[in-house]
Amino acid sequence: MGEEAWQLSNPLLGIAAIVVTFLLFYVVGYISNRKSTSVTDLYVAGASIGPLTNGLAMAATYMSLATFLGITALILQLQVPFIMLWIQLILSIPLITIIYGTSLRRMGAFSPTHFIRERYGLSASIIAALFMILVSIMYSLGQMIGIALAFETVLGIPYLTGLIAGGLIIVGYITIGGMAGASNNAAIQMVIIALMFIVPLGAIMKAVGGSGWFFPPLLYADMVPAMLEAMPNFFDYQFSPKWYVSLIGLTIGSLGLPHLAMRIYTASSLKSARSAMVWFAFIIGLVFSATYAMGFVGVYATETQGVAISPGDADKLTLILNLVYNPEWVTALVIAGAISAGLSTLSGNLLAIGALLSQDIVTTLKPGLKQKTKMKLGYAAIFAGGIISILLAINPPAFLVVSILWAFGLAGVTNAPLIIVGVWWKEANKFGAIAASVIGGAVYIIVSPFVFPNIVLTGHSVTDGMGLSGAMLAIPLSFILLIIVSYITNRIPQLSAKLTTKEDHALIERIHGWKDIHPKRYNSTAGAAITVIFFAVIAIWAIMPWNM
Amino acid sequence: MKAYKFEVRITILLTVLFLLAGNVALIFSIFPVEGYLFGFPIMYIVPILSGWFGIFILTIVASRLGNRIDEEIEKENKHQKTLGKEKNSEEGA
Repeated sequence: MGEEAWQLSNPLLGIAAIVVTFLLFYVVGYISNRKSTSVTDLYVAGASIGPLTNGLAMAATYMSLATFLGITALILQLQVPFIMLWIQLILSIPLITIIYGTSLRRMGAFSPTHFIRERYGLSASIIAALFMILVSIMYSLGQMIGIALAFETVLGIPYLTGLIAGGLIIVGYITIGGMAGASNNAAIQMVIIALMFIVPLGAIMKAVGGSGWFFPPLLYADMVPAMLEAMPNFFDYQFSPKWYVSLIGLTIGSLGLPHLAMRIYTASSLKSARSAMVWFAFIIGLVFSATYAMGFVGVYATETQGVAISPGDADKLTLILNLVYNPEWVTALVIAGAISAGLSTLSGNLLAIGALLSQDIVTTLKPGLKQKTKMKLGYAAIFAGGIISILLAINPPAFLVVSILWAFGLAGVTNAPLIIVGVWWKEANKFGAIAASVIGGAVYIIVSPFVFPNIVLTGHSVTDGMGLSGAMLAIPLSFILLIIVSYITNRIPQLSAKLTTKEDHALIERIHGWKDIHPKRYNSTAGAAITVIFFAVIAIWAIMPWNM
Repeated sequence: MKAYKFEVRITILLTVLFLLAGNVALIFSIFPVEGYLFGFPIMYIVPILSGWFGIFILTIVASRLGNRIDEEIEKENKHQKTLGKEKNSEEGA
């Protein structure tokens, strides 16, 4: 098979599948949204969502278009190391829940930035919010690229037309839907995503001769010998332990993602939030494993079955496999599933942008605004965020996952340290927070290949582009700055006089569930010193040669 | 301070366990192993299984321990409150 234009020969099938899926979402969104009367309802659905629905919604928010399109493309490019990279991303919600999610929920925070405002004050929260908007936009960018590719495959239209048409429809939906619609929808989307991904994968496996097609996520061992014969290095780890250490930067990054943490605030109670985490782990593990299987089958098909996929089409691997091995109506359903995946993540991202701009920036600067104006502002921000991500996607990077993972790194540098240290160490203050966020963020952006292509740490384009190397340097730097600057400024009377130390201590005790204040709790200097030494070692290691 | 120490220790322990379970590949990159499990190379399938079922089991443990931490803190809060009342009544007497 040579290079060809991959598209549905009958676009009506694809259009019908997308229209039916969207109608379903619009109806659920409309019904749920009738109940949404306040700004709290818009963002956290009145904190009334049950554990299964919330667990499914968490999974759907996390399960972006990358699952359908991006991951498989990079498995084709990097093979097993990329699978190993993706595995640890399951840690996001569990770690958010145990490290700070329940504390922030107890505080009644809308978003991580809300916590940063209460903990570090106005300036730090505005800086964090601006970085978070950039994170959400970069994250949305990856989704927009995927949506454009999906529409391109359905209609056989150029990428740009697919981007504008698909992007506008989706941004419109989210602006109308709000979080209540999104939470109920996300649960439905998760079921659709799982079915539309795993069932067709089983059919593809059967077509290429796999005997474990009835449970594709794990039963493809019989294809291993043929794979090893065709591509003996498929299972090689390829990179040094340093590369695998740098993956933890993505885990920390996922702790700073605003749209994920928001899902914890929609839970009806702390117990319910913890149960949702269990559901999340089970569901996400299932779909992630199926994605690795799809990547494996994709490489298998190219190596043993003669399916040729040009580099430019790598992101379409899942769709191409369906076009080759399954009936067209199945591909149409897979495309609808892919768009659902993009939709749920985009709605999470755009709602986070809405909350960041209207709640965390404008309302902070102008607290006297009317509730109705805040709502309007929120809707406007959601819409504007969507339009910006469409515009950025006009000239996309080679792989859609790259921008998503780069966003993870930025969140890990500018947001996660502020929250983690802020929740667990009373000494952390606004000077430390601002230094960490601004300097850490600037270093991360400078060493990324997008701004100064010559200033990079590894020279390995995917490693630098995904922010792995940058995060391994900038995240430790951010933690170190936060701790050291806070420690010093707390001991300079002129500066410490400007801090709200007493209130901060009370806040930390309260969000952990304490009714009194004990000076020894959450105040360990030894713990802070160990953290600084540990991260200093990592940061030094990051700037040493990577030999890639 | 008992509940506080319990909270800090459990959170650190669970974080480390989660990181280990999600990053088995890092361990294998330092200590490679040969061989096959369920028909797959061990260094391929173990990280995948640990990254699904290992994490799933840990979330169940974390959920229970999280609820227990809340209970312990609540217990200590009540204890402090009772101590405070007793102290007040003694001072009053």
